[in-house]
Amino acid sequence: MAAAAALWPWRAVLGRRGGALRALCGSVRGLAAGTQTHFGFQTVTEEERREKINQVFESVAKKYDVMNDSMTLGIHRVWKDILVHKMNPSPGTLLLDVAGGTGDIAFRFINYVRSARERQLQRKLRHHQNLSWQEISESYQEEQFKPLGDSQVVVCDINKEMLKVGKQKAQYLGYSEGLSWVLGNAEELPFDDDKFDVYTIAFGIRNVTRIDLALQEAYRVLKPGGRFLCLEFSHVSNPIISRLYDLYSFQVIPVLGEVIAGDWKSYQYLVESIRRFPPQEEFKAMIEDAGFFKVDYQNLNLGIVAIHSGFKL
Amino acid sequence: MAAAAARGLRLAGWQLWRGCAVLQCQLCPPQRALQASAMLRGVFDEEKKEPLVSSSQHQFNSHPTNHQPEQERQGHCPSYTGQGGQESEDYESEEQLQHRILTAALEFVPEHGWTAEAIAEGAKSLGLSAAVAGMFHNDGSDLILHFVSECNTKLSKLLEQELKLVQLGEAEKKPTDQFLKDAVEARLRMLIPYIEKWPQALSILLLPRNIPSSLNLLTSMIDDIWQYAGDQSTDFNWYTRRAVLTGIYNTTELVMLQDSSPDFEETWRFLENRVADAMSMGNAADQVTLWAGYTCTSPFSPNTSADIPVFPITQTMQLQRDHSALRDGCINLINPLVKRYFLVK
Repeated sequence: MAAAAALWPWRAVLGRRGGALRALCGSVRGLAAGTQTHFGFQTVTEEERREKINQVFESVAKKYDVMNDSMTLGIHRVWKDILVHKMNPSPGTLLLDVAGGTGDIAFRFINYVRSARERQLQRKLRHHQNLSWQEISESYQEEQFKPLGDSQVVVCDINKEMLKVGKQKAQYLGYSEGLSWVLGNAEELPFDDDKFDVYTIAFGIRNVTRIDLALQEAYRVLKPGGRFLCLEFSHVSNPIISRLYDLYSFQVIPVLGEVIAGDWKSYQYLVESIRRFPPQEEFKAMIEDAGFFKVDYQNLNLGIVAIHSGFKL
Repeated sequence: MAAAAARGLRLAGWQLWRGCAVLQCQLCPPQRALQASAMLRGVFDEEKKEPLVSSSQHQFNSHPTNHQPEQERQGHCPSYTGQGGQESEDYESEEQLQHRILTAALEFVPEHGWTAEAIAEGAKSLGLSAAVAGMFHNDGSDLILHFVSECNTKLSKLLEQELKLVQLGEAEKKPTDQFLKDAVEARLRMLIPYIEKWPQALSILLLPRNIPSSLNLLTSMIDDIWQYAGDQSTDFNWYTRRAVLTGIYNTTELVMLQDSSPDFEETWRFLENRVADAMSMGNAADQVTLWAGYTCTSPFSPNTSADIPVFPITQTMQLQRDHSALRDGCINLINPLVKRYFLVK
């Protein structure tokens, strides 16, 4: 946070204004019990929480992807694929991926748009069948120059370590075009109003201290007609599955964390924070409170994960 | 209360029947003809008894189908938050905005088909983000259903105007067959701008998920046509009339898809023949039953014999032969049936 403030001096002002607003909102909503909040199952102040979460992600950044794979047996890839599929971005979409440090959503988005663009061009070529060779080669050149058709994805994360891992991954996988990395807080995004077509936050909003502020910011930066998509662990309604899931979460995941990442506490926090996150309906109401329309959610794997979607109209 | 329940039952029955009818009509025409001939008796006789559409009939409209598409579409949306409806006047509701987006999207259908891309283009033309297309079903069914319900509304407005003209005495009341033909033609003509992409739309509408809504729209359209044609039946005819007209509409639509004649002349000719067939089949079936009733009862009740034509069968068969297109389906089925009946007796 301090680093962020140093990098963006003007945001300090914003931050103060945000603080005032926050206090106001808190008193209005009857949440004004100091700045007490939760960190997993502990009760801490908001500042402490931010600091602790920063530490968590700094410590797990390097092993983040490996841990995700081992904890979910690789299913998190499917969840993310479903999210991008649901987004169904057309060429030209501007995406803001908040808390997307390691770029999982961003890379999927780029792949998806690229293939959509290819399909579009193919259909266009099929449409005018009597093209000269020159025209065809021109269209391919155009495709080479603009394989994304002006699509852009901005990855925004509050944690430098996570961004670093993401950038390395992008380099390694050869993604460069249409991709940018921004250090920023979801509660006060460093972007103008009405800028993005889609806002995604995958497994991130749980770690945001003031979820309502993050939602308001999402609403602010989206264009009219833009879409908010959130992929997050949620609550399982089936009692049997729920018991099994709890058993797995509390008995297996911290052990995995200790063995693979050498960090029991962070993964203890992870499972606790999942339990503290509001259930589907409640979170849906929060999204509606932020001003989004046509909010709905889709449970994946019986509600272990849910995708919430809303529109700014 | 009871009336409402009865109406609900009837609608449900009609839709259930239509569910079977769609399959049977389109997959095996001979069976359709059989069913039609079996149930068609007296379909058109009421027309003669009840001459004109009166203004009171307007109020007596027992199937307020115009509202159904709207309700259907609301039910379609998985979560209606209720925020939209309560906005002040300068705000449009969620539904109105969706409506506007879909209407704008229609312009892009010839280019992009019935797809999310067309919706995205439509949204862009309204100054909205393309991402708003995610609000609608990915397969484009929302766009198609919107188009169909728009067309239905247009048609019922058209028919209402026509009715007004008739009531004011500015136009002459058309005979029923002409009226049906014109109504179906007017409705089908609305598809012409999208005819290239219409097979795609039809296939999407036939997906199991979309069948309830598309069926609802189809039945409400058929209902509208019959209502303006002056149908007041409250008995089994109610079903047969709608079934027959639905069959005519669907088959003509299919013919239209492969019609390459200028201005779809062949389609309209086919339509005309089908309507004429239906009318004569109605008469034929009616007369057959009358005649059957007569042969069964005449020895004991000679009074009834006075109004019955002597050789209705020949007349019927003559009528049948006049019509070209349903010859295979209809006559081949009706003739053996009638003959068998005749021989047994």
